[in-house]
Amino acid sequence: MTDGWLVKNLRAIRGRAYPRVIGAGREPSWIFFEIVLPLFTVAAYAYIYKFMDARAELIGYVVLGGAMTAFWLNVLWNMASQFYWEKEIGNLQLYMIAPISRMSVLAGMALGGMFSTTLHAASTLLIGTLLFNITYQLVDPIMLILIFTTTLVALYGMGMMFASMYLLFGREAHHLSNLLTDPVYLVSGFYFPVNSLGTWAAAGASLIPVTLGLDAMRQLFFSDVSGDGFLPLNIELLILAGLSILFLVLAKYSLSYMEYLGKTTGRLTLRWQ
Amino acid sequence: MHQYAVETQSLTRVFTPKKREGEPVNALNSVDLKIETGELFGLLGPNGAGKTTLLKILCTLLLPTSGKAFVAGLDVENQYEDIRTKINMVSGGEMSGYGLLTVRENLWMFSQFYGIKSKVAKDKIDRLLETFGMTDKSKAKLRTLSTGQRQKMNVIRGFVTDPEIIFLDEPTLGLDVNASRIIRTFILDWLKDNPDKTVVLTTHYMAEADELCDRIAIIDQGGILACDTPERLKKTVRMNTMLSMDVTLLKNREVFQGLNGVGNVSFVDDSERNQTHVKFVVQDDSCVSDIVSGVLDQGSKIISLQKTEPTLEDVFIKMVGKGFE
Amino acid sequence: MAIMHDLRTLKNAAWLGWQMEANWTDPFLFATYSIVKPISATLILVFMYMVVTGGQTNSAFFSYMYVGNALYMYVAEVLFGVTWVIHDDREHYMTLKQVYIAPIKFPAYILGRSAIKIAITSAGVFVTLLFGVIVLGVGIDIGAVDWPLFAASMLLGMSCICVLGLALGGVTFLTAKHSIGINEGVAGVFYVLSGVIFPITALPGWAQSISKVLPITYWMDSMRRALMPETMSEMNSLSGLDVTGLGTFDNLFIMAFLALSAAIFFMISLGVFRYADNVARKQGKIDWTTAY
Repeated sequence: MTDGWLVKNLRAIRGRAYPRVIGAGREPSWIFFEIVLPLFTVAAYAYIYKFMDARAELIGYVVLGGAMTAFWLNVLWNMASQFYWEKEIGNLQLYMIAPISRMSVLAGMALGGMFSTTLHAASTLLIGTLLFNITYQLVDPIMLILIFTTTLVALYGMGMMFASMYLLFGREAHHLSNLLTDPVYLVSGFYFPVNSLGTWAAAGASLIPVTLGLDAMRQLFFSDVSGDGFLPLNIELLILAGLSILFLVLAKYSLSYMEYLGKTTGRLTLRWQ
Repeated sequence: MHQYAVETQSLTRVFTPKKREGEPVNALNSVDLKIETGELFGLLGPNGAGKTTLLKILCTLLLPTSGKAFVAGLDVENQYEDIRTKINMVSGGEMSGYGLLTVRENLWMFSQFYGIKSKVAKDKIDRLLETFGMTDKSKAKLRTLSTGQRQKMNVIRGFVTDPEIIFLDEPTLGLDVNASRIIRTFILDWLKDNPDKTVVLTTHYMAEADELCDRIAIIDQGGILACDTPERLKKTVRMNTMLSMDVTLLKNREVFQGLNGVGNVSFVDDSERNQTHVKFVVQDDSCVSDIVSGVLDQGSKIISLQKTEPTLEDVFIKMVGKGFE
Repeated sequence: MAIMHDLRTLKNAAWLGWQMEANWTDPFLFATYSIVKPISATLILVFMYMVVTGGQTNSAFFSYMYVGNALYMYVAEVLFGVTWVIHDDREHYMTLKQVYIAPIKFPAYILGRSAIKIAITSAGVFVTLLFGVIVLGVGIDIGAVDWPLFAASMLLGMSCICVLGLALGGVTFLTAKHSIGINEGVAGVFYVLSGVIFPITALPGWAQSISKVLPITYWMDSMRRALMPETMSEMNSLSGLDVTGLGTFDNLFIMAFLALSAAIFFMISLGVFRYADNVARKQGKIDWTTAY
């Protein structure tokens, strides 16, 4: 009996996730580069709050935000611009001629990325918490798991959409990812409560899943005693779920369109752009 | 209706560069091609002839500008998803895979994109690694492989999915004699064991095309100049046969002059070795026996007699008016 | 004429750097790109500051933080640039080996590529400072700028950052797909310890000891003293304490220390680069690819 479409695509997802899961573990230098070094940025922002005698939970926000940067960086560099690197080394054309959905390749990349990045982020969170003596008042762990999972699905859905939009990019991929790094740190409120941007700006920034995800996690971790939360938790969860669906659908359509465009212009396999 | 493994009808591909970056390039000009199932078909041509463009269209990586292309009877434009279940491709000098994974892991990963069960894939990979003499490299990281080993891995990657039609784009590019031989032998054996499969191979190595292919299309500047078996292609330049003969020092040379159909005779005497080297062209092979008798009759001995066969390079030169380089 | 040869390498590498940095898009988009990134990074701090102070930006500390953050772009971008050159040339364009075996001094090539990064960053720093002065009231008065101190500090600082970049470039030879981590992280060390956005006195004592041997600490302070002498005096007179941690040192001492620490770091960086270069050749890492 031949395997059905779903089983074949699940195998493809597993296949593409494998190098991400196994690869990071094979190169121990990641512990230093992806956990210890980002802590310096976290420390700088924590110290500036300390220097200004800011309230304690702001330092907690920085640590949590710093941990979540790992996901944003992973989405930009290892999702969005990944197909560019794959094209350069010749893998992309092999993915393209394989008899599976291209979405499975992206999903594999996303799952593998989520796994390794969760380890990095958790380590940063743990060390940051110990270094700056952060106290959490977690009230609803189930909601936290729901929010975190939905945030990741929406965020990596966005990464999949970017990846397909970047499909024909050359060096633009690198520059666009580079360009998107800091503005998103800003508008998503990685290091301060997002509502201090103002309601409209925060609402606009909510299109980036990590904005609401981070806001909700801060509300859950710190009981939102200072009223920093942007929207009620249930609404944030609902929006994140909506964003998950939206980005996955957009990813699928943009991938098909970009593949067609690439085949028409011949840029699908064009290297060294 | 007869179904070809590959069929193209007036297939044309034009690359239009971005503004100010040059003129449009006609990579393929109205190519008509029919490849039968079971064939080992070669596309022979110099760099830039259009071989890779043709292969990319057939592999569903590129769309034609006009014309049609069918693979396993399926249209490359709108049935590409079905085509992909039946094909695979391998390119020479390919750097695909992930450096931090081992050879076996890389091969397994690519097999998963074809939905092959893990165990089945791993067994097959092990068998193929053995066939290619790569078993000891199965746990080596990709980045530690030599060029030849890497290409053998690429070939295994292409065949592990058991495609109906495999496209090989310069599969022995830059490899040493031994690695090339192993790959060529494997391709021939695979096709012998699987007569219902088809191999489409591009190369600019004449000898490779001659040795491997059932039929060859000579391609240059986006057009097919000729398409036939290597023997028939070579026959097209076999109007005159060239012979060279080494004999003991020849005194009377008239034996070469009076015969019908013998021309372009040249003599080089090697007094040190007491030999004469004679080159001549005959219109008909039957003249050769008269020449041999004439030489022997005057007491000379024939040391060697060689008939110079036309090569595919001669065919190419005849078609294009210049060699590959 | 070895110097001429090196200068030609430098010039050609700078030309290549410019092509790779800028020719992927049209000039307008490139200019926007070069400005959006630094402004956003700076605005993060501005919002952090405003969350705590409720929106006031006319304090000496705000100017201290803002100018430090703007100047820090040089550190981040140049260090990033150098490691990226190695990573990109090796893993993506696969040209590192050709450049490496060419009869040129590899550090000259790297410095040439960095030079263009400095030029592009300068535009970003200028726009950020201009934005700060006009929109946020950052305390730079063009008439009060100490230009000789500025020029000397800039020259020493840039040389120092470039040689640090070279050392990191050497480390990149040996590391896998982590150059993003390198630039985020190592530059982060300076961000925390060199008094970039907060005075080093906010750090624990042991960390302050490290800060005081880092050349970037002195570069930051001398640049601030050059650009806004009055604000720095105000900073150091706050509550009668040495808030910046360097307030008791005069300009000459700061410059002398910058020169000395730059010289020491130059030797260390060259040593690190040579060592890493040697190890990379021993381990065959000059032309490897590590993507996964």
